[in-house]
Amino acid sequence: MEKKADWQWEISAHRPWFRFNLRELFQYKDLLFRFVRRDIIASYQQTILGPVWVFLQPLFTTFVYFVIFHRVAKISTDGIPPLLFYLPGIIIWSYYADCITTTMNTFQYNAYIFNKVYFPRLIVPLSSVLFHSFRISIQLLLFLMVCLFYFIKGTSVYLNVQILLIPFLILLTACFALGCGLIISVLTAKYRDLDNIMQFLLRLFMFAAPVVYPASLIPQKYALFFWLNPLTPIIEIFRSSILKTHPLPLGYLLLSVVSTGIILMTGVILFNKREIQIMDVI
Amino acid sequence: MAKKLLEAKDISKYYRLGVLGSRSFKEDLRDWWAGKNKKYREPESESPQHIWALQNISFDVSQGEVLGLIGKNGAGKSTLLKIISRITLPTTGRISGNGRIASLLEVGTGFHGELTGRENIYLNGHIMGMKKKEIERKFDEIVEFSGVSRFLDTPVKRYSSGMYVRLAFAVAAHLDPEILIIDEVLAVGDAEFQMKCLDKIKSISREDGKTILFVSHNIQTIRNTCNRALVLDKGRIIASGDSESVLAGYLHKSRGQFLGTDYTRQTVMPGNDMIRMRKVELIPGYLNDYRIIDIRTELRIEFEFEYDVEEPGQILAQLQVYNDAGELIFELSSQNYHLRRGIVRGESMIPGNFLNDGIYYVSIAFVRNSAVRLFYLESCLSFHVEDYKNSGDGYGKWAGVVRPAFPISLRQEPE
Repeated sequence: MEKKADWQWEISAHRPWFRFNLRELFQYKDLLFRFVRRDIIASYQQTILGPVWVFLQPLFTTFVYFVIFHRVAKISTDGIPPLLFYLPGIIIWSYYADCITTTMNTFQYNAYIFNKVYFPRLIVPLSSVLFHSFRISIQLLLFLMVCLFYFIKGTSVYLNVQILLIPFLILLTACFALGCGLIISVLTAKYRDLDNIMQFLLRLFMFAAPVVYPASLIPQKYALFFWLNPLTPIIEIFRSSILKTHPLPLGYLLLSVVSTGIILMTGVILFNKREIQIMDVI
Repeated sequence: MAKKLLEAKDISKYYRLGVLGSRSFKEDLRDWWAGKNKKYREPESESPQHIWALQNISFDVSQGEVLGLIGKNGAGKSTLLKIISRITLPTTGRISGNGRIASLLEVGTGFHGELTGRENIYLNGHIMGMKKKEIERKFDEIVEFSGVSRFLDTPVKRYSSGMYVRLAFAVAAHLDPEILIIDEVLAVGDAEFQMKCLDKIKSISREDGKTILFVSHNIQTIRNTCNRALVLDKGRIIASGDSESVLAGYLHKSRGQFLGTDYTRQTVMPGNDMIRMRKVELIPGYLNDYRIIDIRTELRIEFEFEYDVEEPGQILAQLQVYNDAGELIFELSSQNYHLRRGIVRGESMIPGNFLNDGIYYVSIAFVRNSAVRLFYLESCLSFHVEDYKNSGDGYGKWAGVVRPAFPISLRQEPE
């Protein structure tokens, strides 16, 4: 009998729950970046403004929210200039929503490739998260420019040290979105009912996070529940990075890290277990 | 001993057919409730909704071997290829391998219409498992082979379908995998490019030490190319070993061939009060030891019937030859005969070098006074004409319904 180690790869009916081939994933890094490149090129092909749209989208949304939630519904912005108040929430939220949507549709959108060639399927959701990270970094530039604008205008804007946390906050958002997306992608592959509900749930979830209102608006008795959402401390910390007083809800941030970690692990394990089997039911 | 590149052990694949919906969900729930970990159902649970596409397939492929895979449509060839390519999991069993496996004709996977030809070469190459350096090294060669160098910086959605396929094949042809799958059924592109592809495939398969999995319907090609062969039928391996002996055995089993019946041995002979068929037989003039009908084989058809019509009149017999698709290839008609009651024998002949390769059916009709059809015996014979190729010919199927060897020549005119 020959040794098992002789084989570079082996597949069998039973895929173990915990066996990750990180080396293989790394071997496909060229493909990962090629996918990101493809998405970037493809999304601005045949547009005149090109990547400027990355700026314009959050600005338009901010304008709409400003009119509806600030002017009409008169929801407080905690004394922050509305543009500066809405931008962080919108940037983080749209990043989260984009990442989770592309990730949860991984199998359906890529069936035509998955049916032909083998490569670690995780490359695809990773690449779309990276693509959206490219977009959010441009949007961060926009945010800094807006801050600068207010600063020159003499409005009270203080860029404090918390701003250094922003890359970490984005990473946390990415992990949270990826984890949720992977779990949903596996669950919705066979029966797509959940897919329909997801659209609705996602929209609802936006209002559970402090995107269009400040956390201070939440009554004390719901506070714990509200802060359990990993996005809440992320958005709040991001937002307070331009304030003079900057309460850092460290405890909640830690909670967010832990719950994100658990969700991401669950997602990766589920995905790794089911990535090939799913192709029979897509 | 040569190094093993692929080893399959007891592979089976179970498929559920039909639509996934609330009903299949109920089944899933029931299975889960009944004890999820009792593994899948037993093989006998093959039902209209479930099918075993493969059962207990074991084989291995060593370095430098050319393994042929033969089987009818639906025999499980594609499922097996999918499992080997790691696109789908086996339901039971295990498969292990070394290195890249790629199909030369499964081309253009992941091409993105908005991207330029250049970008797509990289994208497709990476998807197929090539490293960046590897693509850079072969880039010029790929471009030259594809013949689209002028359009390299144009999005491929503007390409003609021919250019698109050429570019896609060019990448695949330079992939250089450890195990190459050649699936003859998947030929691509226009005639000229097809020739180029087939030449390339041939040159690759001739290279020493190339490991190839060759999938084909064509026995002749398999015999010429492969040193070992597997025959799949209804998801099982029914024969394996060196290709000569496997193919000989496979041919004797004659895939659905029906070379004649002696109806006199049956309790009921087909026919009516006027005509009773006694015998129909097809006698090939075999040219080889394998008893294969190939395109060169002369086919004699003999039939015998009881004629039972009192009134004087004329009768003629017609033979109709249909192809697999049910198209009438040709009809033969005898002259009108004045026959008496009794046993009548008929005979006809289809010359060699006339039918193209394929499956054919023969029907017989009897017509009285050139007007009334007395009896029609449908598809009483069926036979399979194999291709015959000299080693110099290409792999593709010869075009056309018939394949006569009429003379055609060229002559150089004096200047």
